[in-house]
Amino acid sequence: MSGFDTLSSAWMVWDDPAPAPGGVVLEQTRELDKFLGEIERRAFRMAQVALRDPDDAMDAVQDAMLKLARNYAARPSTEWRPLFYRILENGIRDLQRRRSVRNRFMVWLPGPKEDPDNEAQDPLDTVADGGTPVPERLMQDEAMEKLESSLRELPARQREAFMLRNFEGLDVAETASAMGCSEGSVKTHYSRAVHTLREQLGEVW
Amino acid sequence: MSEETLDPAISALENRSRALFEDSVAGLDMRTRSRLTQARHAALAAAGASARRPWLMRTPFWASAAGVTAAAVLGVALWFGGPLSQHGQVSAADTQSKFEDLDIIAASDESSGDAMDMLQDDVDFYAWADKTASGEPTA
Repeated sequence: MSGFDTLSSAWMVWDDPAPAPGGVVLEQTRELDKFLGEIERRAFRMAQVALRDPDDAMDAVQDAMLKLARNYAARPSTEWRPLFYRILENGIRDLQRRRSVRNRFMVWLPGPKEDPDNEAQDPLDTVADGGTPVPERLMQDEAMEKLESSLRELPARQREAFMLRNFEGLDVAETASAMGCSEGSVKTHYSRAVHTLREQLGEVW
Repeated sequence: MSEETLDPAISALENRSRALFEDSVAGLDMRTRSRLTQARHAALAAAGASARRPWLMRTPFWASAAGVTAAAVLGVALWFGGPLSQHGQVSAADTQSKFEDLDIIAASDESSGDAMDMLQDDVDFYAWADKTASGEPTA
């Protein structure tokens, strides 16, 4: 996906209403638009925590959105959330698997060359978020980095259970549906994740 | 998050991590937000296109399977449902002739010329040949 030349062009896309196909599917499309709009940023951050790379995370979220819209849009909207996260987690696992295979081969190849010109940076990347004072923001960023690092060290199922339950707010049944396992397994994974994180992050965190 | 959590230290970790996560979500840069919006629009467009497509077009597997089955049923019906076979008068020559007819029709693809047109051009000849073979007086 291409970047934007100016901040205003980015806002134009941001503010555009979603394309409405019309007819009988209009209401369903609106509902799906609302649902995806509500979860897209959290889904992206969760994918980013798991994959580390923002482009991979974007690919995973985009793919999950497409699959949900194409295959499950007609299902009751109450089923969308666990379905979406199930698709997303599968996508994340696929990307991680592909990456590990790729890394096995890449270790024999020379690394990428340093860009002497430091490649022109997208101005949107440097836009300040505003709101939070800088020292507090730095402390929060540091704490979040520690959390992300600890989450990445967890076994995949524990990480999934923790993020779906704690970040996304799914209940045990929804998490079980999203993870494709029993509710008992979700409780076990979650409990282990929480205790491991507690040990790793310490009391001062 | 977990309703069964009683340990205050665990509850604190849950609350702190959730707050940090929400904060990081709120702090996503404009470019990422815009890309997410574009991805959502693309997904909705795909859903709309999928919903507008006729039912049969949404299931190409079924359509192709139905086509093959219909062709097979038609072939069997033509093969065994002919007037000669109903009267038990199927000779080796008739069978051979039917094989040739099928062969001509099957070979009538774009590259080998239009065999059906060829047959239609000589309708009079085939009508005469049929009457001659059955012993009827010809005009």
